[in-house]
Amino acid sequence: MANLDVALATISFKRKIAYKSTWFFSVLFGEWSLLAGLAVWNHLIGDGEIGGYDWDAMKAYLIIGFLTGTLAWAGSDWEMAGRILDGMVAIDLTKPVDFQRARAAEYIGGMTASIPSAILGTAAAALLFRPAGPVSPLAAALTAFSLLFIFPLAFGISYLATLACFLTQRFLGIQWAKDSMVAFFSGMMIPVALMPVWLQGVAWALPFVHFTTTPASIYLGRVDTAGALGLIAAEAAWAVGLWVIGRLIWRRLVKKVTVHGG
Amino acid sequence: MPILEARSLTKTFRRPDKASGFKGAVKHLMQRKFKNYTAVDGIDLSIDAGESVAYVGPNGAGKSTTVKLLTGILRPSEGTVRVMGRDPHTERIANAHDIGVLFGQRTQLWWDLPVEESLKLLKHMYGVSDADYQRRIAKFDELLDLNEFMPALARTLSLGQRMRADLACALIHDPKMVYLDEPTIGLDISVKDRLRAFLRELVNDGTTLLLTSHDLADIEEVCERIVVIDKGAIAYDGSIERLKAHYITTKAVNLYLEGTADVPALAEKFPDYEWTAGEAPSEVTVTYESGRFTTAEVLGSLTAQLSPRDLSLSEPSIEDVIRRLYAGELTK
Repeated sequence: MANLDVALATISFKRKIAYKSTWFFSVLFGEWSLLAGLAVWNHLIGDGEIGGYDWDAMKAYLIIGFLTGTLAWAGSDWEMAGRILDGMVAIDLTKPVDFQRARAAEYIGGMTASIPSAILGTAAAALLFRPAGPVSPLAAALTAFSLLFIFPLAFGISYLATLACFLTQRFLGIQWAKDSMVAFFSGMMIPVALMPVWLQGVAWALPFVHFTTTPASIYLGRVDTAGALGLIAAEAAWAVGLWVIGRLIWRRLVKKVTVHGG
Repeated sequence: MPILEARSLTKTFRRPDKASGFKGAVKHLMQRKFKNYTAVDGIDLSIDAGESVAYVGPNGAGKSTTVKLLTGILRPSEGTVRVMGRDPHTERIANAHDIGVLFGQRTQLWWDLPVEESLKLLKHMYGVSDADYQRRIAKFDELLDLNEFMPALARTLSLGQRMRADLACALIHDPKMVYLDEPTIGLDISVKDRLRAFLRELVNDGTTLLLTSHDLADIEEVCERIVVIDKGAIAYDGSIERLKAHYITTKAVNLYLEGTADVPALAEKFPDYEWTAGEAPSEVTVTYESGRFTTAEVLGSLTAQLSPRDLSLSEPSIEDVIRRLYAGELTK
């Protein structure tokens, strides 16, 4: 079965890289977004600090945000949703594979296609802007480990969003809502530390925060080792929780699947 | 022992009950109403291993919904289905190993990758060994000229090539039970002939086949048994020969006379037959009840008394019977 997961992930990877111009533009606009963020925060912070971030720390935060954002937005939400909306899910249901596991393999395979651009962009930005380094080698290792959870978390959230298509019959609004939630509560737009305290509580209670705030907090030493391990445990718990919720919802929805036409 | 057995199979869908126009749209937004629509209505169907069954009916009769129920895609509202002893919906994965499905209007190829990539992924999915994969690909190539487009991207294939590739995808794991939902839709005559030859070969090899099609030539060339469905219920279930024998009660002779055919005078002269004017003034069609008269008797009396310039016999057509079944002119 593991072979099948790899085969599905590989197919999805190949499909992503089949469209080279899309790949090129996603890198280009990702970098552009990073540059815009750097310019805005440079103007705001100047020689001081905001929310405990000085300019060097903010550069590191934004570059980590670029890295995680490049990975998190690289999944194939529309393809997953499109198969439900146009009835291609009927074909998926005639295959001897677990629906959720197959979609996870495809989704994560598609995400891996963005790893080269994420690494390339991050390395280029690090060389150009000289951000703050990790507080310790252990923090660097734990940051890298926490970044791995972006893959199952991104899938879990996108899978639940696309399952909503069974009820809404549309995906555009759901996609906008999901993207807004991820961008806002992850801290990609504004660091969570700058939000009102009550909103910080909301952010930390949701899975989105682990896309940027968690790896950046570990990297910059805003949490100690125990805190870092706690955050990684929370990421793992969310990954498992989202998987289980997805499975429970699918079990109910598959009984109500409607595919009209030939 | 049936390989497939459906009892009182019923599928009801809920559809929005919305009036047309802006007012209807707003009203539906405020007060949502739905109507139940029964697509499949208490079908009993039993298919033995090795049978080739045509499942036909007019558009919207419930053919595709039945196939989706039998393949486990949809859950029946009422009734039961067992395929090789399993419930195809609740035991979907186990069932999927033993069935092959082709929906003519939906492709299972990965659109932006070569055909070969799709087949290799399916090989992984079904756990097909390298040797079996190579052997089956060689056979598909022999019958469907698969290698002609194996390296091509699926989105660049012609419809005929796409259908041949999809057929290979549906059969790569050598399924025991195969469902083909309109496999020849939109294809040209030569590709249709090729696919039919392939399907005959498949049936001869012992595969159980359920075929839905609007093309009755598919049915006559590939299947022995025909199930006609209309408004979600079975209108006929039996052999094609029995269908013809049971429902084709009349035969026809086309006569080409010297001069203009006087149809009322002929009808008066031969009151046991039904007379219809043909396309040309000298052409006339004589319809007679095959149970009362033999063709020899009819031809004997007509040629002796009318001395036609030429004549032709109209063979009984399955298409006519199906058309009349769809139109509700014939009953079970």
